[in-house]
Amino acid sequence: MEIKAALTGNPNCGKTTLFNALTGSKQRVGNWPGVTVEKKEGTYKNDPSILIQDLPGIYSLSPYSLEEVVARSYLVQEHPDVILDVVDTSNLERNLYLTTQLLELDIPVVVGLNMMDIVEDKIDLKKLARWLNAPVVEVSALKKQGLESLMKQVKNESAKKEQKPFLFSRSIEDAIGSIQRLLPETKQTRWYALKVLENDSRILEELSLSKTDQQKITKLREAIENEFDDDIESILTAQRYDFIEKLIQDCVKRKRTKHAMSVSDRIDSIVTNRFLALPIFVLIMYGIYTIAMGSTPFSIGTIGTDWANDVLFGETIPGMMGSVIQYFHINPILASLLKDGIVAGVGATLGFVPQILVLFVFLSILEDCGYMARVAFIMDRLFRKFGLSGKSFIPLLVATGCGVPGIMASRTIEQDRDRKLTIMTTGFIPCGAKMPIIGLFAGAIFGNSSLVATSAFVIGIAAVVVSGIMLKKFKAFAGEPAPFVMELPAYHFPSLSNVLHSTWERGFSFIKRAGTLILLSSIVLWFLQSFGFVNGAFAFVDDNNNSLLALLGRSLAWIFYPLGWVGDMAWKATVATFTGLIAKEEVVNTFGVLYNFGGELSEAGNEIWTLVAADFSAITAYSFMLFNLLCAPCFAAMGAIKREMNNAKWTWISIGYMCVFAYSISLIVYQLGGLLLHEVPFNFFTVVALVLLVGILYLLFRKGYSEDKSNISVKDFSLNKVRS
Amino acid sequence: MPLSFCKVDVVYPIEKITGKDSMRTHLRNLGIVEGESIVIKNAIQKNLIVEIKGIRIALDATLAQRIMVGKEIQ
Repeated sequence: MEIKAALTGNPNCGKTTLFNALTGSKQRVGNWPGVTVEKKEGTYKNDPSILIQDLPGIYSLSPYSLEEVVARSYLVQEHPDVILDVVDTSNLERNLYLTTQLLELDIPVVVGLNMMDIVEDKIDLKKLARWLNAPVVEVSALKKQGLESLMKQVKNESAKKEQKPFLFSRSIEDAIGSIQRLLPETKQTRWYALKVLENDSRILEELSLSKTDQQKITKLREAIENEFDDDIESILTAQRYDFIEKLIQDCVKRKRTKHAMSVSDRIDSIVTNRFLALPIFVLIMYGIYTIAMGSTPFSIGTIGTDWANDVLFGETIPGMMGSVIQYFHINPILASLLKDGIVAGVGATLGFVPQILVLFVFLSILEDCGYMARVAFIMDRLFRKFGLSGKSFIPLLVATGCGVPGIMASRTIEQDRDRKLTIMTTGFIPCGAKMPIIGLFAGAIFGNSSLVATSAFVIGIAAVVVSGIMLKKFKAFAGEPAPFVMELPAYHFPSLSNVLHSTWERGFSFIKRAGTLILLSSIVLWFLQSFGFVNGAFAFVDDNNNSLLALLGRSLAWIFYPLGWVGDMAWKATVATFTGLIAKEEVVNTFGVLYNFGGELSEAGNEIWTLVAADFSAITAYSFMLFNLLCAPCFAAMGAIKREMNNAKWTWISIGYMCVFAYSISLIVYQLGGLLLHEVPFNFFTVVALVLLVGILYLLFRKGYSEDKSNISVKDFSLNKVRS
Repeated sequence: MPLSFCKVDVVYPIEKITGKDSMRTHLRNLGIVEGESIVIKNAIQKNLIVEIKGIRIALDATLAQRIMVGKEIQ
């Protein structure tokens, strides 16, 4: 029989490390039904009959963030066979707070005391087990110790029904008992009774109690509130902590002197220092980008990508392909498909993998070591100025690598409208895949000026800021972002296996895309640009200006006429923009194919620079770049937006907003910039550009929607909407 | 007095957390409860990093104003 064990615990208690240690490589990642909080599960590597499900890290079973809602409804509704509660021993008090709540569910609990090795306190495990009435096992997730005895307990415990410890005072326990008798038979658990007593709106809705029962419960609640002269939630919280305090006095011999300056404190006093915080952060990011994407001797990402482009996909594979074609006398059309279509297209994406992987490694390290939480804190004050909170900074930061995990990182944001705003703007940040576009134009038109890449970042961030300010003034987003509160975990050395796991998870989706979407699109693109109508007959064309693709591009090119995409380049730019939706790196790849360069393009496409330079002027190049940086992201990121929004209307609003914003900005820059440079004459679209500019300024500076003061309450968390 | 006005590296007892909303519950779940002692470890303008129950928690200015503390503990 299969045993389902739910792995729970506070954030940063070592849960993920334990999960990786227990399951090894046998993991699956999915999403929870209905919502998009990630769900990982895997079987125990020494006993495949035990299925371990990794729940999001939570502080309590009173839901505050989306992840807490998910974890709670999973435990209550799915009813796993056993709860494996991971407790960070260095932080026993707060971790046991969750344990006291887990014990109230009708599910056996096994407590795993993690990180015992770093604590100097002496803990009496037997006594602790007696207090909690649950088995307690010492484990070290990092050193993989105690895992077997932990899992033995999980197996033993799964069949048992435990008597729960009574931790509240007499009158409250009595009330819980009375409420239990009022509940429907299947829900007569201590946990439901407690939630009813706490007046938990979601549970009350689920139970739909009769009027008389509700009155009885209200009376019980009021009696308790009067007795303790406080509201019920405060009373219960206080009594839980009282229970834990007594437990700790009995079981733990403290050695530690309180409030000593720890290593974490010392690091914090530097990295969160009022003056040094921002420069340090900029320096760290600069270092990461130099190593991943720079052009210095220690830029291992670039070295890897150069090798992949120049050697692997530049010589080795095309060479092999060439000899295969020669050997088998493959039909020239098929040979063209293999060489110009598949190898060139897929190679362009795969060549990019080394840089992406290096970037992901560093971002994973930042997340794992505890610095990310500090960054959110440092940025909070700044971000509040344009209507976002510091928590929105993490998604933006992650999006510099790839928009998909960036958008997914938005789920730690508690307030619904803050989260939506973050999702809508995350795509503006130039992700790794947009780098080749920047590289192409910087090289072809702007003499390799590093100002182009810098300006792309500035524009991305400015787009986020401008959008934040503009959108915040609409009713849907109006209101202060939720107050910022976040635990700052103690710094620790990132665990190699965690970093590798998360890098692989993210990196693999890139590689998978190259084998599927990019492969398919390369074939379609090759077909469309290789065939066309010559003198009225459908045939293989030599000049792709006669191809189906050119026909298609020309029929849509009028859309971008106001952005200055005119002449020979118009259809090519149009096609590249649309293929960019498949993946942003496709833009450069498409130019490579369209400018008739037979072999593999290097990442920035040096080989076609002269051809591109002949077709684009500085201002059209910039307009094209701007549009492609800001418009709708790739399909993968659009998919992520759809999943995180969990709502068709908001998905379309987000994508539509990005396109309209990109179009407006490109139009303004081309028309007004062109006019100033005497490149574009005054015309109808100059007026349109002026109108758009005034419109944006109006949206930026108008007095926004503001709620009646009396209506504002922090209770406005619309998590319900997300769930339904 | 609100935590916002307190000195860094001095221990204060929490007397009350004002307001009545889900944020207060969340603060409690994080360990910020009445009767517990709290220390400001660092302040960036009005945002604070505090230590409570041996954990570091970052709080913004609006929340710091809602935590009422008593006289400093020696």
